[in-house]
Amino acid sequence: MPRRQLLLRLQLLSNPQVLCGVRGAVSPIASSVGFGEEDCRAITLAVDEAIANIIRHAYGGKLGQAIEVQLNLLNGENGAKPGLEIILLDRGAEPKPDALKGLPAGELRSGGLGLHFMRQSMDTVVHKRVGSTNRLYMVKFVR
Amino acid sequence: MQISARYLENTTIFDVIGDIDLANSPVVRKALLVELREKKIPRVIMNLQGVKYIDSSGIASLVEGLKASRDVQARFILFGLSKSAREVLQLSRLIKLFEIYENEEQALSNGSS
Repeated sequence: MPRRQLLLRLQLLSNPQVLCGVRGAVSPIASSVGFGEEDCRAITLAVDEAIANIIRHAYGGKLGQAIEVQLNLLNGENGAKPGLEIILLDRGAEPKPDALKGLPAGELRSGGLGLHFMRQSMDTVVHKRVGSTNRLYMVKFVR
Repeated sequence: MQISARYLENTTIFDVIGDIDLANSPVVRKALLVELREKKIPRVIMNLQGVKYIDSSGIASLVEGLKASRDVQARFILFGLSKSAREVLQLSRLIKLFEIYENEEQALSNGSS
């Protein structure tokens, strides 16, 4: 069995209205991998926040720009539990270094929570810039 | 998402049904700010029993409502949080800043204006 198996690839256009459809796709797939309800909600939230960030920040709110979402099953080796790897690709602006730090939660401010939610929800959140493409990798393993 | 308003004496209750995300959180934000800043309603209550999902943009709208209520010395109350909504609010570490009740009866009787 391969280490990594592509389960789903979504080609989206940047539009907040697609978020509900993506959530509807991600949650049952997370469940099929073996995540419990709470972790399925966490994964769904992380993907939602990641796409929202791409729409708002990478593309500056511009509609109709390309976003790709990949969901890969990470097969547990030697009895290890499986995981879900989520890769998001966009060709928008590179995030500024400060933006990747996120803002501290608990402060009464109306923005900056998305990255915090992503990091709290997933085991790993890594951003890379490859040429003109932003690549966001998020991984979570079944507990 | 649907949002509708009911009006009691000195109180507006917003009944929200659906997901509050980037697509529709601006509607929630605007509704709250109109009641609090423009109409200066002394007590605004959010019925979130019908909200199964809320993300950071939704939380941001609630935060703006809370800030506006403090600015105008109004009460801003939430009730009926789903497990999912409560989890997200806890994740934001803002849950203790909000006045939250289980149901409308408690919200009306405890959160008097």
